[in-house]
Amino acid sequence: MVLKGIRKSFEGLVALEHIDMNVSKGLITMLIGPNGSGKTTLLNVITGFYTPDRGEVIFEGKNITKWPPHKIYNEGLVRTFQIPQPFKSLTVLENLVTAYRENPGESFVKALFRKSWIKDEEEAVHKAFKILKILNLDHMWDRPASHLSGGQMKLLETGRAIMSGAKMILMDEPASGLNPKLANEVFSYIVKMKKELGITFLIIEHRLDLALPYVDRVLAMCRGRIVCEGEPKEVFNNPIVVESYLGG
Amino acid sequence: MTIPAQALFVIDLLATFSIYVIIALSLNLEYGYTGIPNFGKVLSVAGGAFTVGFFPGRLLSLMLKIDPKIDYATRSHEVVTIINNFLEKNVLLSLGIFFATLLVACVVGAILGFIASYPAIRLREDYLAITLLAMGEAIRIIGYNYTPIVGGTLGVMVPDPFRWSGGLRYVTSTLFISLIALIVFLYLERLVRTPLGRTLKAIRENEDVARSLGKDVTRIRTKTIMVSSVIAAVGGALYAFHSGNVHSLTYHRASWTFWPWVMVILGGAGNNVGVILGTFIFVSVRKFIIFYKGYLSPFLPFDVVWLDLLLLGLALIIIQMYRPQGLLPEKPTPTISFDKIRELYVSKKDET
Repeated sequence: MVLKGIRKSFEGLVALEHIDMNVSKGLITMLIGPNGSGKTTLLNVITGFYTPDRGEVIFEGKNITKWPPHKIYNEGLVRTFQIPQPFKSLTVLENLVTAYRENPGESFVKALFRKSWIKDEEEAVHKAFKILKILNLDHMWDRPASHLSGGQMKLLETGRAIMSGAKMILMDEPASGLNPKLANEVFSYIVKMKKELGITFLIIEHRLDLALPYVDRVLAMCRGRIVCEGEPKEVFNNPIVVESYLGG
Repeated sequence: MTIPAQALFVIDLLATFSIYVIIALSLNLEYGYTGIPNFGKVLSVAGGAFTVGFFPGRLLSLMLKIDPKIDYATRSHEVVTIINNFLEKNVLLSLGIFFATLLVACVVGAILGFIASYPAIRLREDYLAITLLAMGEAIRIIGYNYTPIVGGTLGVMVPDPFRWSGGLRYVTSTLFISLIALIVFLYLERLVRTPLGRTLKAIRENEDVARSLGKDVTRIRTKTIMVSSVIAAVGGALYAFHSGNVHSLTYHRASWTFWPWVMVILGGAGNNVGVILGTFIFVSVRKFIIFYKGYLSPFLPFDVVWLDLLLLGLALIIIQMYRPQGLLPEKPTPTISFDKIRELYVSKKDET
């Protein structure tokens, strides 16, 4: 994924300026920066929730700038949210199956003809159970998502993203609110998915100590700009990054 | 053939109940399952009824070559008397015109639904509710002030497609209405147990997340409002046929928007069976109050005509305070039964 000259402002307040960046395929890239540096805004721009003032978002050679979120999703670019947002009245299984792409049973006409969608639905359920097993949530498949703990909701969000058959997943603070053990488990799953499914990850994370061992590249943001990028150690030793965190 | 008064009461109850089941279920599809607060339900109900007031009388008038100088909108009683005399002896044409009118009402409902969905794409809950409320008001006012549609201040008589059944006219009409209500119920029950039903609930829960999972929320909301409006228009058309006339003032927001809301909330939003129960309780209680209000009058410190509205308003407040999920709360509507999923994917070891 390539971003070229992205700018985003809100009634004069510039949130993103001159964002040029590359996210390499098959790697886990971490986006860091102090609060208010524009990380989540950037994620919203990439996934179509915000329209940039200027600049381009290129994903797998396609210019997806200003595309609506659902269209971007169908290209295989999927996001999760900072605060886990499961569909609370749906079961854990239904939450995953909802993310299944292009289910013919979602058409108002085809929905009435069970034969036209039941095979896809069974395939979706089969795939969902595989993911739930990986995430250790399979024993809770028939419970409403509202019954899950905060950590399990995070895992469910990750599961939904995988369910879509995503090529790239953008995660907004996947470890926030999790105890260190569970946070390490989440990152282990992410590495596993990268290796087994070849998924590219762009992760916003504040808990640098936890995330660092798992990531391949780091991008640092400050005041709406990318200030540094490279190998994790290289970025963390960069004086601008240090100053951004400690003095910014 | 004379029908006893008690039987007439039951037939009337069943007809009113069935018409409101259709309309309340259509609202449940929008609000209960998709989270669209349609406070303009009367728009599509009136659309269906106005279709009955406008279309079949004029069509039959042309078919029967009734003097074109007789203006249907202002002299409908003359035209309809001639038409009904003809329909009395022609069952096939009667039923043909009945179903053709319902079809046109569906088209009108879909168009009105599409118009109503225009703000639904752009506005969120409270603003959308107010806009839809205004749209519902508009159709009644237009119908009242523009005579050519349904006769303006005087209203119009409509052809009676059940005249052929003679003294059993109301029984026949009620049977047709009940049958259509049953079809609507079965259709919606089937719809909510599909991947689409699940997606509607997902949109209701969080439309941003639904968007992020590839759901074209705008398109789905538009279609939901259109389908719901088609159903409500059928309800309005059936009411018009059953009552034999159309007057725009009949299509008031209290009767055709607020009451269906009470039925949905009372029974349980997001549960079609609950909505049917809510509708039954509402319609029955109201009918009984109306029937017996003469007896209650001496005991009340206010005019008895307000009793049913007061009691139903009170019931709504009590439900909201003590059982906001309604009498029958929402239940899971799986596309594949839990038992089958357990059998296929969950081993006994996993369950223990």
